[in-house]
Amino acid sequence: MIKVLIAKPGLDGHDRGAKVIARALRDAGMEVIYTGIRQTPEQIVQTAIDEDVDILGVSILSGAHMKLVPRILELLKEKGSRIPVFVGGIIPEDDATELKRLGVIEVYGPGTSTSEIIEKIKGYFENANI
Amino acid sequence: MQISESQIVNGVSSRDRKSFAKLLSICEDNPVMANKIISRLQRKEAHVVGITGSPGVGKSSIINALLSKLSRRVGVIAIDPSSPFSGGALLGDRIRMQSHATDQNVFIRSFSSRGALGGLSPSIFEVCDAFETFDMDMILIETVGVGQSDTEIANIADTVVLLLSPDGGDEIQMMKAGIMEIADIFVVNKSDNPASIGLKTKLEGIIKFGGKNIPVILVNSITGDGVDNLIKELDSRFERIRVDGTFASKRKKRVFFHAQSFLRRKIDTIMQSIESDETDIEKIEKELIKKLCS
Repeated sequence: MIKVLIAKPGLDGHDRGAKVIARALRDAGMEVIYTGIRQTPEQIVQTAIDEDVDILGVSILSGAHMKLVPRILELLKEKGSRIPVFVGGIIPEDDATELKRLGVIEVYGPGTSTSEIIEKIKGYFENANI
Repeated sequence: MQISESQIVNGVSSRDRKSFAKLLSICEDNPVMANKIISRLQRKEAHVVGITGSPGVGKSSIINALLSKLSRRVGVIAIDPSSPFSGGALLGDRIRMQSHATDQNVFIRSFSSRGALGGLSPSIFEVCDAFETFDMDMILIETVGVGQSDTEIANIADTVVLLLSPDGGDEIQMMKAGIMEIADIFVVNKSDNPASIGLKTKLEGIIKFGGKNIPVILVNSITGDGVDNLIKELDSRFERIRVDGTFASKRKKRVFFHAQSFLRRKIDTIMQSIESDETDIEKIEKELIKKLCS
């Protein structure tokens, strides 16, 4: 059973994307925790650890991804956690490359199909052999 | 990433959240190992409080209000339903409680019901025992949004709080058997709705008619009004049941219900491994017994 946390950091309230992903992953047989809008990186990381999730999905549409995502990665590292992180939202290509360099496993832009995301997540765990 | 039993035992003893989070996952996936680890840990008897009621009545919100006012170590077990089609689940109880996500005295964990009926999850007994090894003073179990006959929470909680809202139906609904019978404390939420006072009065009448003495408390889980009264009631009940023997007998029964749940889970797992195109019940039974004894 794959357990996922879908989290929305920062101040934008555009949660449609996060909700669509949460619902699609549920229908793909995963256990999905959704924590709502306006979460701090600290709340997100503590929740991911307490819930012992297998993977963390972060949705941002505010443009603050270069501040918020590195902070989340830093906090995870600080707490000795190796939970993989993927990001969804409006992320310019250069930023996506930089986020991946920092350790994000995948960045999904607008128009990505839910089946692509599901397959990638499932594939990730098949390869990681968890 | 695998961590050993001893690492978990040491981690949980020193209140390491990551180790405790792993222990809870083991409770869900491997009850035999979970029970073994729990038996190696020191346990503190916490007040186990079940919060139950229909979907949307305010269970998560009232837990959030309780967390804001309880200055002690509290564990929250929040259960949401699994899909009968995909087996997946959307666990959204935490949304109302996220202001406590970084509170070191609070540990919130979401669980899928994983196909279990009755309002709880298959691992609830192991999970509840596990929380008692994490030095909790109180453990709040939020059931799935329940119907009239989901009474399993009474098998595990020391105190059952049934949450009602003023728009839940007439007094005939309150006279029906099932969930209305297991409440130790009734809470009428959404007290800003004038109809809540009428509901409280009707409820008190029905309780009196049944010859019982069960408190009915009005609260507003958003503003926090009435939550102090609920805490007072919970604490005085805990003190009372520890003296009058109710607590001890409930705990004794809980061990039995735990065994029942553990064995049912074992049988369920075996049943899933038996070919589903087998139609002879006797053959299935023999196969089950063979696998149980092996």
